[in-house]
Amino acid sequence: MNKIYIYNSNFINLLTLIMNLIKKEVKPDNIKDNTYEPNLLEERVILNLENNENILNYFQTKWGNYFLKTIYYVYLSNNENKELIIYYVCLNALKYNKKVLNMRNLKCVSEALRISKYVGNEAHKLKGFLRFKELKNNILYGEIEPTNNVIEILSMHFKRRLANENWIIHDKKRYIAMIYDKKDILLIDTKKIDIFPKLSIEEEDYEDLWCTFYETIGIKERTNLKCRLNFMPKKYWKNIIEMREENETNNKWK
Amino acid sequence: MNLKEKLIILSDSAKYDASCSSSGSKRANKNGMGNASYSGICHSFASDGRCISLLKILLTNCCIFDCKYCLNRKSNNIKRAIFTPEEICNITINFYKRNYIEGLFLSSGIIKSPDYTMNLLIETISLLRNKYKFNGYIHAKAIPGSSEILIKKLGNLVDRLSTNIELPTENSLKLLAPNKNSNNINKILNYISTNHNKQFAPAGSSTQMIIGASSDTDLDIMTKSSNMYQQHHLKRVFYSAYIPINKDKLLPTLKTPPLKRENRLYQADWLLRYYGFKVENLLDKDNPNFNLLIDPKADYALRHLEEFPIEINEANYYKLLKVPGIGVTSAKRIINSRKYFKITYKDLKKMGVVLKRAKYFITCNHQYFISPELFKKDFIESNLVLEDKPKTNQNIYQMSLFNE
Repeated sequence: MNKIYIYNSNFINLLTLIMNLIKKEVKPDNIKDNTYEPNLLEERVILNLENNENILNYFQTKWGNYFLKTIYYVYLSNNENKELIIYYVCLNALKYNKKVLNMRNLKCVSEALRISKYVGNEAHKLKGFLRFKELKNNILYGEIEPTNNVIEILSMHFKRRLANENWIIHDKKRYIAMIYDKKDILLIDTKKIDIFPKLSIEEEDYEDLWCTFYETIGIKERTNLKCRLNFMPKKYWKNIIEMREENETNNKWK
Repeated sequence: MNLKEKLIILSDSAKYDASCSSSGSKRANKNGMGNASYSGICHSFASDGRCISLLKILLTNCCIFDCKYCLNRKSNNIKRAIFTPEEICNITINFYKRNYIEGLFLSSGIIKSPDYTMNLLIETISLLRNKYKFNGYIHAKAIPGSSEILIKKLGNLVDRLSTNIELPTENSLKLLAPNKNSNNINKILNYISTNHNKQFAPAGSSTQMIIGASSDTDLDIMTKSSNMYQQHHLKRVFYSAYIPINKDKLLPTLKTPPLKRENRLYQADWLLRYYGFKVENLLDKDNPNFNLLIDPKADYALRHLEEFPIEINEANYYKLLKVPGIGVTSAKRIINSRKYFKITYKDLKKMGVVLKRAKYFITCNHQYFISPELFKKDFIESNLVLEDKPKTNQNIYQMSLFNE
């Protein structure tokens, strides 16, 4: 039977488990979070470890910020083998220390760097593509459906940028939302709450004004839809208001 | 005239300015709205594939100048409009908080006099900064011929301050922009580069040249760019393919804008700034224009085959950068990785090297990857040209077969 080690769906718990396995010299067949359903050849192993709250500090002092950020971004990704990749990166970090991320000839390192960059890129794109709508009570409300779990990165960005506004970022794919009240950010589970945003009176006017600007600013003699698609992939169009119309006409032809 | 009509007129006449970057400033949010992102953020992409980062508008398209190539020239009979400072602030703030934009790009036609126009720009932007407490990115155009004190005032309010030199040579400027004077433009760029600091235009300056409206060669253009980078420490020179909007006997008649040429100039511009190339490496009096079939770096490599192949595990940074298919990122990765292990051909892909281009010009552990007798200009050139051809050509061909 393949042994699948189970962690508690958070980053600290994952690192605690990984360091524990390394210490015991156990090579896991895989590591998965507690929602994982094993197949017939797999056995779930739960070690019931207490979270080691110091582990982030430990990683930071031992291997540096860049290392910690890289494996955290891998953890946020949708990659199927992300836990195993982090495990092997940590295993090699004990051997090579701080220079481990330079060892691009190791598969786990080149994969970790690639995935972390992919997550960082998606977060960066959404810092631009996210669209807020103003609700009746002046709250700004934005929906996202990202491939990777980037809501926390986005929240930190908007906490600085829109510090004096109330806002909600809603990840409709993962059923979570970040709520900011001009002071703190709160993560909520939206499976249990229905959100029916009611728009402010002005909202439609500004959306219309923006779509007008968007139409006008493109130079017709230079039209290049392929180039646009490269930079702004279709999977984001649904929530980008200036693309909504085109998105709907496209879907009709499917 | 309502706000929407104004926005159409004043964004339509602003769209020919190529600059859209919102990078280079670290402005923080001081108890207001917005901050700058040092790497810049693109918020959308227009139907022409260009990034939309800033609300790009003119304060007014009224203009006392009569530059031949410009939509807003005095002699054109078009609808004119002017924004009030409050209107600009209102649109900017409402677009910004909905995360449509990274900030404002404000330029203007020249109304009454350069100083009068500058004062309007200053009034608008100080309203935005002080009353609305807006700390997002602002790029403003300085008006040539305005007084130094106004340039100083405007520079203290914005992240980037720039002005366009429009044409690479004095002669073509005189011919096509008779009211503009290159001294005035240089004076502004000079003032910005000597005074640029954390408070004054922290994101520096840039400029733009129109490509294909005059008879200037690529050599003229690149020489001008190179001088501008050295003298004025510009962040960017933008190249804007001329789009025939006006009919004038002094202007060329073009069916389509020279987009490929513009692309080659941008590639060469990158080579000057990041790859250690000089203009004389790329162009000379006998070859004053870029090869449209092949990019400037590959063109250089093919003309200097004696410098190749280079050894991946030994060559220095600038030698690596000369290889087609190796860019700044992959060259740095190679240099860095070499300290820890010997790089094999297989590792190169993981480092982001484009092997289908690079393979002709490198050895890895002294091994060459194609048969050595094929290390000839004609062979490599024909392969590279075909690599560069967009794949859509094949589709068009297939479709026409289908139609028959």
